[in-house]
Amino acid sequence: MTIIHNRSLDDIAETAPTLGGNAVTRAFSGGSIGRLIGMLALIAILGFLTIYPLAMLLYGSLHSTPPGLAGEFNLNGYRAIMTTQNLLVLVNTVGISLAKTVPSLTIAVFLAWIIARTDTPFRGTLEVLITLPFFIPPILTAMAWGMLGNPQVGVINLVWRSISGSQDPLVNVYSYGGVVWHMCQYSIPFLFLFTVDAFRAMDPSLEESSRMCGASRWTTFRKITLLLMLPVLTSSFMLSFIRGIESFESPLFFGLPAGIKVITTDIYESINHRATPDYQYATALSFAIMGLMFLLVIWQWALLRGKSFQTVTGKGFRPNVMELGPWRWVTFGFCVLFFVITVVLPVGQLLLGSFFRFFGFYTYEMLTLEHYRAVFSNSEFWRAVRNTMMLGLLGATATMALGAVVAYVSVRTRWRGRSLIDGMAWLPWMMPGMVLGVGFLWAFAMLPGPIPIYGTVWALLLAYLALGTPVAVRVMTGAYHQLSYDLEECSRVHGASWFQTMWRIMVALAWPAFAVGWVLTFFGIMRELSASILLYSVGSETLAVVLLKLWANGNAEQVSVIGLMMMLLVILFRWVQLRFIKARISKL
Amino acid sequence: MTSNKSMTAATIRQWSRRFFLTAAGGIAIATAVWQPVQAQDAEWEKVVEAGKKEGTLVLYTALVGQPSTKKIAEAFTEEYGISVEVLEARASEIRERVRVEQAAGRFAADVMFTSEGQTRLYDAEDKSVDPLPVTPNSQKIKPQFKLQVPMASVMTIPYGIMVNTGLVKPADEPKSWKDLADPKWQGKILADDPRAIGAGYLWFFSTYDRIGEDYVRKVAGQKLVFTRDQRESQRRTARGEYSIYMPVILTDMSDLKGLPVKFVIPEEGVGYVLYGNVLLKKAPHPNAAKLYLDFLQSPTAQKIYASLGNGPVIEGVTEGLPADIKAISEAKLYGTSDSRRQNEMLAKAKDVFK
Repeated sequence: MTIIHNRSLDDIAETAPTLGGNAVTRAFSGGSIGRLIGMLALIAILGFLTIYPLAMLLYGSLHSTPPGLAGEFNLNGYRAIMTTQNLLVLVNTVGISLAKTVPSLTIAVFLAWIIARTDTPFRGTLEVLITLPFFIPPILTAMAWGMLGNPQVGVINLVWRSISGSQDPLVNVYSYGGVVWHMCQYSIPFLFLFTVDAFRAMDPSLEESSRMCGASRWTTFRKITLLLMLPVLTSSFMLSFIRGIESFESPLFFGLPAGIKVITTDIYESINHRATPDYQYATALSFAIMGLMFLLVIWQWALLRGKSFQTVTGKGFRPNVMELGPWRWVTFGFCVLFFVITVVLPVGQLLLGSFFRFFGFYTYEMLTLEHYRAVFSNSEFWRAVRNTMMLGLLGATATMALGAVVAYVSVRTRWRGRSLIDGMAWLPWMMPGMVLGVGFLWAFAMLPGPIPIYGTVWALLLAYLALGTPVAVRVMTGAYHQLSYDLEECSRVHGASWFQTMWRIMVALAWPAFAVGWVLTFFGIMRELSASILLYSVGSETLAVVLLKLWANGNAEQVSVIGLMMMLLVILFRWVQLRFIKARISKL
Repeated sequence: MTSNKSMTAATIRQWSRRFFLTAAGGIAIATAVWQPVQAQDAEWEKVVEAGKKEGTLVLYTALVGQPSTKKIAEAFTEEYGISVEVLEARASEIRERVRVEQAAGRFAADVMFTSEGQTRLYDAEDKSVDPLPVTPNSQKIKPQFKLQVPMASVMTIPYGIMVNTGLVKPADEPKSWKDLADPKWQGKILADDPRAIGAGYLWFFSTYDRIGEDYVRKVAGQKLVFTRDQRESQRRTARGEYSIYMPVILTDMSDLKGLPVKFVIPEEGVGYVLYGNVLLKKAPHPNAAKLYLDFLQSPTAQKIYASLGNGPVIEGVTEGLPADIKAISEAKLYGTSDSRRQNEMLAKAKDVFK
């Protein structure tokens, strides 16, 4: 049985061994000046990436004109958002986000438990397959679900009518339900990716103790398993809830026809569909939302403060799986059902449609490979692939490295200012993407002339770094919460340097989380449009920009071809991650 | 006889003098006209030479994903040997980029391809454009496209009505904008959202002005379903979700050949958006920019646009086009929006389509 040493951070810091070594080592290993320099460096980096663009936006919200134009400071933007109409829209937005986050988290946790902790057959393959929808551009799945679930001629409704003889449709995706469902398509795989490794990193002896003490399986799951996962669960809930508030594609595609308004469609309209873009209104509204979101972060801090969630300790444990007996086929069936509904149905539409001249017109004479030919012979597409791969590889690695350091400092040290950097790392997540993109544009373009960032790929890279940091930090925070301090201390007591300890303990043991975060960040970069469209320069087009061009010109089938290729890339990445990296970790 | 002779001689002298004077005057006038023309030609030649030396042109365009942009750029490069670098983004994004770049002293772009309404904003609010240069082709465009704003008109994008031919019999097809108010279409029309700047708003603006408020209110009573994705809406209508989609970009007709849809040019005429080029302030390649502005009003570029169904701004470039494309390209222009009245008209649209 493993005993959790519920020690406070203060104890740890006081007993932490002091090490010599070079300046860099000292900077991170506890010397007070070195610590100060390390912390200041982190604050400076995060300040440039997050505070600086947000400060430009704050200026925009308090000034009658955007940066660079003559105007005056006033509160008109904030006054304009204080309307009953906006309050109703806010309530609506929060309601939709809760309606999608709660079931998404429940399903994701259940799926993660099935995959990580049960003997469900083919769970390795299922783990890759059920996450696929997350990596497809939302506009494609929206189109696919539009074809499947429109009340007039949607495939599901046509089948339903032919079976039941009913004239009424079974489903209508152009509704609240449709908006929530489409958002769930993204949040379930996202939350699953977030939680599955936390389940894996859990010592089953804790659950066994609970069972031996007479607790039922459900009570054990509730009081031990879920409670130990509190940091991961609260982090995921908040990431998903906030993203739900900021979700744009689903409400625009499925909500607009049904008259559903949310905050982001209002912001979008104020920038894109008014006589003159109203940046003051858009930024003021975004800051008001951000303020509300930050209350949630404070709630999470209060919830987790003083508690320990360590499950990976110095004692070895077998990543036990629960033997479900015949029930394993039920869990398998659940996973397959989920896969069929969320992957096979929409992706099947995209795959099928990519071989026909037009989506939805599946006749022999419409069969063609033209869309594949068009994509493969499109030089702009290949240039964008090269740019995006380079930015993705560099960006995801740098983001995860930064995220890991920030998470380490905020979770595993008691350095003064650790809450500040944790808070700073949250900020980009709380600002709607389309507004933050403008913040980056203002920030990078307004830098003094000699700083060559605007108009280069560095602008894109820095924006991606800022945008990916919240997820990177959350992923690594969850993982670090689970690692016992014994391991770190043991390593250092035995003479390992700070970096050796980091590498052998903090990196090696948190590697699965790092890899998941890397994939999430990499594909986040691949899909990112709001900042990319404002920062790319001629020759540095990204895949998202090319997708926008194709979509805007009505080449939905070509967009699907690219979407499917992105999905293949995900399968490849996940396969490498799950097979190769895990094999390497066991040798570390 | 003598007197006759002397009269004749006097007449001849008189006529000779007149002829001489006339001829001299004619030559003087011709010289006076010819000299500036020659001077203009020489001046333009200098622009051509300087433009070629600049070698590059940076074009920003708000018309995202249009293959015509590349086609025209290639034709321009072929004509002058000047390469064209194109940066595309949606109207509000590209405008903010230009504004911020100029405010920060980063003058990266030469020419912006945008709409008349956006040009007014560039000119009046952002002060980011230069006055238009007089170029050889700029004097040949139709009078209606000579604008007060500094935009060199290039082409119009025409908007009409799209019908699903599987759901609507030929006899029932709407022939005009007014037909959309017929109660038989209730619940069967998919429409671009008129409450936001875009195609739906353009329809609202032009028909409100030309047909009247009663008409738009009647259409509002048709329980329109709104969308903001024009291309996907065409597909949805083709798949049978709705009988009608409006307003549709008529030039998309060629892309949808083979689908059960028909593009209708309304009897009243088409709604349209006028697109053109503006010369951005402190353009890094000012001469190449002038050449580009001129080139897009040349018969070569105008024929490319006409062949896609866009309305040309000069005469005589639609001959020889297929009949359906020619009909769209030459469609009567019914109405467009006016950016000076946008706040007023958006408020009206929101009131009518609550």
